[in-house]
Amino acid sequence: MIIIDQLTKKYGEALVLNQLSLNIKPHEIYCLLGANGAGKTTTINLLLGFIKPTSGSAFINGLNVSENSRKTKRFLAYIPENLMLYPTLTAVENLDYFSGIGGKNLSKVQLEDFLNQAGLQKGAFHQRISTFSKGMRQKVGIAIALAKDAKTLLLDEPTSGLDPKASNEFGQLLHLLRDKGVAILMATHDLFRAKEVATQIGIMKQGVLRQQFNAQNISLPELEAAYLETMDFKELEV
Amino acid sequence: MYKYNFVYELKVLVRNGWIQLLSLLLLGLFCFAAFNGSEKVEKRKLDIQAAKTEVRESDHDMLMLLDSVEQGMEVSASRWTIPTSPTAVGNYHPRVADMSPKPLAFIAMGQSDLFTHYVKPTMTGDDFTLNFTEITNPVQQLFGSFDLSFVIVYLLPLIIIAFSYNVLSAERESGSLKLLASQPISLRNWVLQKISLRFFWVALLTIVILTLVMMFFGTNTNLKDWFSILGITIAYMLFWFTMAFLVNLQTGSSSKNAIILLGLWVVFVLLVPSVLNQLGSTLYPMPSRTLMINEMRNLKAQTVKRQDEILDNFLRDHPEYAINDPNQNRKFYHRYVAAQKLVKEELKPIINKFEQQLQKQQAWISQLRWISPAIVTQQSLSTNAGTSTADYENYRGQVIQFAEAWRTHLVPFLYNNQSFTSKDYDHLPVFTYQPLKSNDSSLSWLVLLVISIVLGATSIGLSSKSKSSSTLAT
Amino acid sequence: MIRNTFRKEVKEIIRDGRIKIAFGIVFLLLAIATWISGKQYRSVNEQHAEAKAAERLIWDNQGEKNPHSAAHYGTYAFKPKYPLSLIDQGVDKYAGSSIFLEAHKRNEAQFSKAADQTGLARFGDLTPDFVLLFIIPLLIVLLGYNAFTKEREMGTLLLLKSQGITIWKLIFGKWLALFTPIFIVTLATFVGAGAILSNLNDFGVFKWEHLGVLCLVYLCYYIIFINLVLLISSRAKKSGVALVLSLSIWIVACLAIPKAASNIAEGKHPYPTRQEFAANILMDKKEGLDGHDPWNKQAKLLEQDVMNEYGVDSLHQLPFNFDAYRMQKGEEHNAEVYFKHYNYLKIQFESQSKVYRSLATLSPFLPTRFLSMAVAKTDYSTHWDFADTAEKYRIEVQAFLNNDFAENSTYGDWSYKTGETTWKQLPTFQYAPLKLNEILWRNSSNIASIAFWLLASFGFLFITIKKF
Repeated sequence: MIIIDQLTKKYGEALVLNQLSLNIKPHEIYCLLGANGAGKTTTINLLLGFIKPTSGSAFINGLNVSENSRKTKRFLAYIPENLMLYPTLTAVENLDYFSGIGGKNLSKVQLEDFLNQAGLQKGAFHQRISTFSKGMRQKVGIAIALAKDAKTLLLDEPTSGLDPKASNEFGQLLHLLRDKGVAILMATHDLFRAKEVATQIGIMKQGVLRQQFNAQNISLPELEAAYLETMDFKELEV
Repeated sequence: MYKYNFVYELKVLVRNGWIQLLSLLLLGLFCFAAFNGSEKVEKRKLDIQAAKTEVRESDHDMLMLLDSVEQGMEVSASRWTIPTSPTAVGNYHPRVADMSPKPLAFIAMGQSDLFTHYVKPTMTGDDFTLNFTEITNPVQQLFGSFDLSFVIVYLLPLIIIAFSYNVLSAERESGSLKLLASQPISLRNWVLQKISLRFFWVALLTIVILTLVMMFFGTNTNLKDWFSILGITIAYMLFWFTMAFLVNLQTGSSSKNAIILLGLWVVFVLLVPSVLNQLGSTLYPMPSRTLMINEMRNLKAQTVKRQDEILDNFLRDHPEYAINDPNQNRKFYHRYVAAQKLVKEELKPIINKFEQQLQKQQAWISQLRWISPAIVTQQSLSTNAGTSTADYENYRGQVIQFAEAWRTHLVPFLYNNQSFTSKDYDHLPVFTYQPLKSNDSSLSWLVLLVISIVLGATSIGLSSKSKSSSTLAT
Repeated sequence: MIRNTFRKEVKEIIRDGRIKIAFGIVFLLLAIATWISGKQYRSVNEQHAEAKAAERLIWDNQGEKNPHSAAHYGTYAFKPKYPLSLIDQGVDKYAGSSIFLEAHKRNEAQFSKAADQTGLARFGDLTPDFVLLFIIPLLIVLLGYNAFTKEREMGTLLLLKSQGITIWKLIFGKWLALFTPIFIVTLATFVGAGAILSNLNDFGVFKWEHLGVLCLVYLCYYIIFINLVLLISSRAKKSGVALVLSLSIWIVACLAIPKAASNIAEGKHPYPTRQEFAANILMDKKEGLDGHDPWNKQAKLLEQDVMNEYGVDSLHQLPFNFDAYRMQKGEEHNAEVYFKHYNYLKIQFESQSKVYRSLATLSPFLPTRFLSMAVAKTDYSTHWDFADTAEKYRIEVQAFLNNDFAENSTYGDWSYKTGETTWKQLPTFQYAPLKLNEILWRNSSNIASIAFWLLASFGFLFITIKKF
């Protein structure tokens, strides 16, 4: 469960996030749309505790992120735009390492099971990551999230650079996670994928959440029209 | 976390080829250095051996000659070289005053390329002009020797820097840092574990290789030697790993880290020692040797003019000799020895000034050596090897004492106009070198160890207060 | 194109705070080192002049005595310090500075400064040559390691290529941007040193052209490093790799090879120990004529020869003092013995130098170091040259004194004494070091090594351009 309450972030005079409030419950996939610099990545970094908010607060599983940064990380998983793993280690070894340092001792069978659930083909389990494509690495990332038994998942443009088939597979995986009761926040430019996977969609501009939709109540052309309208909307001078 | 870091760090290091490269590099460097060192020590031993053999042979000839003279036979040797004369024994049959190498001498060349390892002080020679320096091509001295001390003091830190400058920054640059940072761990602890694991492996390799090298090249090295060499090496390595840890925590880029660590290396290994040396010789300047020569010459010129008078005074001070000189048979050496004694006494303050200044410089340096661990390590290694300045000073002191003993043993013969006989041969003084007791070298590695640990601990304390994760977002 | 690249690179260097600090430190170090060396040079020269004058006074005023006593009393030759030792101290610290010239014996120069220093001195001194030889190449590595890799990492290299640039112009622009600051620092140091030296008129002969040659040597050395660093940067994939590689080259060239070379040279062509050397000389001396010993076999032969030559049957009838004549002949024999043994040392020294020269293909540091010391007249050859001149003077002094003894007394007359007028007639010791062109000629192999390194590094850089 992710709760964002009046979250604001300023860099000096620059306001990058302005009073953002969001509530993402389990079994929900919330897609944040917006241009570059709209504040999507900032939101995710704030949830990860990588940066401290200027005001407002964020909660993961009811824990305040800025107060319990390390504890909240137990309940969340994160897949950055370009997920990089240790190139000289195999998929199983990478999974073992990342879950191990997080405090989870998993047997080989369990590790392989998670990779299997994440959709990685069996032949790649014991190959070094240096031979993997981006899609394959994303799958290992999902496996890490699964192994961690994360209650929330943060995704930063996970489908950029994936071919349509890989992107589709990735969407299926998100549904799998959603069915397990994970609350997912995904920042993306990909309107099509957002419409496909999301339960909720928000459009951000200049650090402000402009519009919110229930994904079921909006068609893709409508979403695109709403998005372009938000982007073209001239700010009134304040 | 520790178990996983331990297992996977080793896997990554082996798969990257780091452990293999490191083993080969360390093995190669240590062996080449130890070989160079032991070659020099071997030569030193052989030289001393040869000198002793030569003296044994010449003693044999001397005894034969003495025997012939005592049996009243005619001998075919120059008059003044016949060993019935005490000055002939004192000047032509000197003993070897040698400084045999300590078991660990091959570890550090130290000052051993500057000084000779055996001299033969004669009865009428000047102590202060006894030349303790060695003839070598000074280019060798300028460049220094590729010995273990060089490998440990200069190269080991560079290897450590190359091995650990980018523990954290590489994660960021390769992109795996974000995933890592989203785990419920403290990055500071994670870096600490990684660095300590690397320290563990380098230390383990060094211990194994150094032990092998010492078993192979060292002779009679005991457990205490082994322990003190390893102790100082490990402590010095720990210092550099602590530096690497500190720099890694700053989360700069890999290049920036490398440059900072390298800068630290230049400061600690190159600059601080040379600045301290410069300051030491400015604070306690050595008097001019050229002007000392002038003074010595003046003094000698005066004494030569007053030789008879000096001898008279000398005999007045030593009536025991005057009584035994019924013929007042004063020869060259009677005058010479008396004059020489006077010159020596008068020159003593000037000569002492050099020694005092050197000792003051040394005391000053040993107070300030903690500024740079490189100095502590170099000094500790050369002390263990018995090739430090203090060792050669100690040797010089013992030789001069021995020269005095040699002289005082033979002078009574001269003034009593008494012949040297084969019976007296057994009573001739013999030189045995007493090496310095190792004083603080065993302590210095402990202190260095403590310094490194305290540095590391305070940096952990400091960094926990600062926001170390803010740079992760970029 | 070249100008644009140059401007951009210089701007980047100027705007980089780290580089500014590094330059500041290097400049400060150079200034301090030059200042200290200048002070030392001055005081050493004052002492030298004082000692030289005092020694001559002592000689002249030694009083009435037999010329041979005077020969035993001896005199000293002091090694002068040359102006360029301000830049490069060379082996001065390790070679002695005064030689005692006495009858029958050739002495080594004694009292090296290193023997009067603590073990700390072996780390190196804060002198201009230390900064010039070690620190500035390190600065070049720091400035240039990412010249190309940064463009590659930021992706600007592709952009540059798409602009249709000529690669050699790009490289040359970067080369110039790297060379200019180094050139300025070097030039400033040498001009500063020159200014200090030309203000010390009283001592030595300082010539700007010598300083110019020295400056040129160092600039060549830096150009080699610049080429190597740029070469690595243009080939390496990442800045980190380029940095580690460039640094390794610095460590190997400046630290490891010189030390290893010293061990190899010493191991392959060792000098005898001082005691061994003295014992060998003594043995050879004994086999020949002993000027002091009339009963010596060679002495008896000489007696016969001389008496036959002059057609006399007693030594008393000779028109000169045979004792002195015999001593002179003994002196000449000793001189030959010394010549032989010192020649052996010289052969060892030459062989060692060959080892260094052959290893110069592995490290540009070696030829630069040797050439720099040679031009500064602080190298081992100059020391040999000085010692040989002193020995020649010693032989002359002995001949002068023995002749005086022989001509002014008769056989068996050891009571003959002479005084100040004779002592004053003794010519003073003069040592003129080699001329610059002779030094350069002698070091032609070092010059060739530097030229080889220059050509090879430029050549490789050129090949890289084609592959770029």
